[in-house]
Amino acid sequence: MRKLMTLLLVWVAATTLSATQALQSDPSSSLKFAVIGDAGTGRTPQYEVGERLAAARETFPFEFVLMTGDNMYGSQTPKDFVVKFERPYAALLKAGVPFFAALGNHDNQSNRFYEGFNMRGERYYTHVVRQVRFVILDTNLMDAPQLKWVETVLSQSSEPWKIVVFHHPLYSNARRHGPNVQLRVVLEPLFVRYGVSVGFAGHEHVYERLKPQKGITYFTEGSSGQLRKGDMQPSDETAASFDQDQTFMLVEIAGDRMTFRTLSRVGQVVDSGVVMRRSTN
Amino acid sequence: MKPRVVSPHVLNLAGSDRWPGARAYRFVIDRFLVLPIGAFVAVVWANTASESYFRFAHALAFPVNQIGMALFFALLAQDVTEALMPGGALHRWRKWTLPFMAAAGGLAGSAAVYLFYVSAAHETVLSPAWPIACAIDIAAAYYVLKTIVRRSGMIPFLVLLAAATDAFGLLVAAWPRWGEPHPGSLLLMLVALGLAWRLKRGGVRAFWPYLGICGPLSWTALYLAGTHPALALIPIVPFLPHEPRPTEVFAEPAPDDAVHRSERDWHEVVQIVLFFFGLVNAGVLLRGYDTGTWAIMTAGLVGRPLGILIATALAVGLGLRLPRDVGWREVIVIALATTSGFTFALFFATSLLPMGAVLTQVKMGALLTVIGAMAAIGVARLLRVGRPAPRRSHAAR
Repeated sequence: MRKLMTLLLVWVAATTLSATQALQSDPSSSLKFAVIGDAGTGRTPQYEVGERLAAARETFPFEFVLMTGDNMYGSQTPKDFVVKFERPYAALLKAGVPFFAALGNHDNQSNRFYEGFNMRGERYYTHVVRQVRFVILDTNLMDAPQLKWVETVLSQSSEPWKIVVFHHPLYSNARRHGPNVQLRVVLEPLFVRYGVSVGFAGHEHVYERLKPQKGITYFTEGSSGQLRKGDMQPSDETAASFDQDQTFMLVEIAGDRMTFRTLSRVGQVVDSGVVMRRSTN
Repeated sequence: MKPRVVSPHVLNLAGSDRWPGARAYRFVIDRFLVLPIGAFVAVVWANTASESYFRFAHALAFPVNQIGMALFFALLAQDVTEALMPGGALHRWRKWTLPFMAAAGGLAGSAAVYLFYVSAAHETVLSPAWPIACAIDIAAAYYVLKTIVRRSGMIPFLVLLAAATDAFGLLVAAWPRWGEPHPGSLLLMLVALGLAWRLKRGGVRAFWPYLGICGPLSWTALYLAGTHPALALIPIVPFLPHEPRPTEVFAEPAPDDAVHRSERDWHEVVQIVLFFFGLVNAGVLLRGYDTGTWAIMTAGLVGRPLGILIATALAVGLGLRLPRDVGWREVIVIALATTSGFTFALFFATSLLPMGAVLTQVKMGALLTVIGAMAAIGVARLLRVGRPAPRRSHAAR
């Protein structure tokens, strides 16, 4: 009887394991998304990045696009929403691809009510897609209620992947702005404590990937419309960077692996790699 | 011969002539220079070991900004109250209307230029910071003018103008911001004021019972009401013992009576608070400048002086008269002397804005408005305000 029970347990364990492996290797179970930042200029490079994004989706069917802020530069009238958002990404919007935006310093705070940004009228918000929790922050004004909210959301989330998106980078080796250390001092302990694996920021008009900082991999994607050529000053913290052309990111999460590719406006792969999920304990 | 009055200073560092640095210490203390020193240390620290600086600043922000600064604002209120008393330096100043109108012009000018700037730059996230652009560092303005003129009708004009401007800013900063006030807050404030009244009626001449018993009650009341608790001692100040201050407005009073001796001790405690205020709040990364920085600077250096000049011209046009020894050249120098926002701008910034990128750029603008002090001194020399015309050498003749 004991032997029978042992065999039964082994059989159950084996079938469960193979099912998990099948789920991880099944492309349809992975989550694919794109990341753009500092995009909303309404000028030719933004349109070209938009076309490249749409073309990339034919082979890499991402489900949504994350925007790291400065989604709109200059005037922000209804006409500007057309010229600086709806037209550049017309193909994606037509295909029903949603955009999830963070607010940058150039964004009018009332843009959170614009339906195309899916912010539901909130300066900071969260959404979960399958096993990935995205926490989108407003780093222009990091008030006490927002800090409390971040801690509550991160501490209560049970998803294995936690990804934070905000405008001002906590780490940066670009010359113009550099890191926002004041924000880092208050946000990073929360990210570390509650198992955030990846952070996406913008603000610097370059692309940069940092080596993991306290276990978290930070990306700066702030050159999907704007570009500050030659602004990078890579340091020991920099894993990869690119400041010669506009860029966007394609990201896939499958199981514990996050695979990413960063492409330039002309389709050149400027960075790629894998980030492993951090433990949420 | 009068017996020498021995001041029972808390710190008594400057009280001893034997201490070799006593004169330098007194110079720094008398001119409120500890805050710029703290600010300088903060900027250097923030740009050399930023993470340790911001951890330190974050940890000390509440005790310094919300508690310690209550002593500063109370001392300022006490100074102005005594200066306005019969026998005080500002008591004979009857022409209040003109500086108040000039203050209104300065407020309108700085706010309008600030809002125009951020709206032209399409950065409306900066709009709520407009009261910061209106701040005048009253002590800095006073000492800038004292550097230019020793004694003139310009000084009370400037002090009243700056006090009116900052009183407006403090009202904005104190406006309750987080939801419904706690129902017990009003009761607690009434208890604080009642106790202060009782102490006054009882003839208590020492300050510390007022500050140490009524102060915490008032602080808690404002905190519960969602109002800035750093202003907690201002309602208590009218109950404090007062003696007229016939000489300077902000300088330490002579230790000629118990009240002034207590104020000297208080003054020194406030210097420690101000040092930490500068240290905790002024640390900005030099690359943190952005639109908010230039907007605050333009508002302070251009908008306010222009507003003051236009409002003064309007007031004079309406029939008000300039003070006896103040002409238009002097008004220009007064307007430029008000350009520095520094302490008050930093205070308003930390009161009105949460941590984040907006606060950083606005703080940097507040620090850079000190340029205006140099401009005031330079323009005063150009316009020959407060100084005799330069002597010509015999050879030149």
